[in-house]
Amino acid sequence: MTKADIIESVYEKVGFSKKEAAEIVEMVFDTIKETLERGEKIKISGFGNFIVRDKKSRVGRNPQTGEEIEISARRVLTFRPSQVLKNALNASAEAAESGAAPATH
Amino acid sequence: MLKSDLINILVVKRGVTQKQAEATIENIFESMKTALCKGENIEIRGLGAFHVKHYEGYQGRNPKTGEVIPVKPKRGILFRTGKELRDRVNRPEDDQGGGSGTGSGTPPAASGT
Repeated sequence: MTKADIIESVYEKVGFSKKEAAEIVEMVFDTIKETLERGEKIKISGFGNFIVRDKKSRVGRNPQTGEEIEISARRVLTFRPSQVLKNALNASAEAAESGAAPATH
Repeated sequence: MLKSDLINILVVKRGVTQKQAEATIENIFESMKTALCKGENIEIRGLGAFHVKHYEGYQGRNPKTGEVIPVKPKRGILFRTGKELRDRVNRPEDDQGGGSGTGSGTPPAASGT
């Protein structure tokens, strides 16, 4: 799946024109990127959280030469899928495996 | 920032109705979720890529009792940040002082020879 598929889905389901759908989806992802760039986290309930983390500098190694090098302090983005998404992912995996609907209580 | 903030931004900046904005945001993440559940990977240029990873089942142990417990195969999501966003997130802030010319990811060059 790429952005084009998401645009297509928004176009079909929400009733914007193709052009509007494209611009709006673009705006959503741009907003997400700008927010993360400021170091702010994004929490999408039912999907997951995007969190910016500060990493301290540490000593690493060039795996080819074995040479020790310092890895500088940096900020990285991590994604933590929500429990809902993890459950959905595994329920559908089991369903696909057994060829039946996921077991319910 | 929450889902509701994204919805508000669409209403304020694009002038769409509250309902349309809600439907759009829901649809974006719902369609991504559906794709992942089908085992499909997602790639959003500039943001990153989501990969579905399959983990094999294994024989685990209850660390308290030592009892052997079968752990079922499962799936997880790996997210890899895209290059553009990785660089934007990691861009040094003003606390670096006046050093503006070293943003290429290479270690600062020693100036004395």
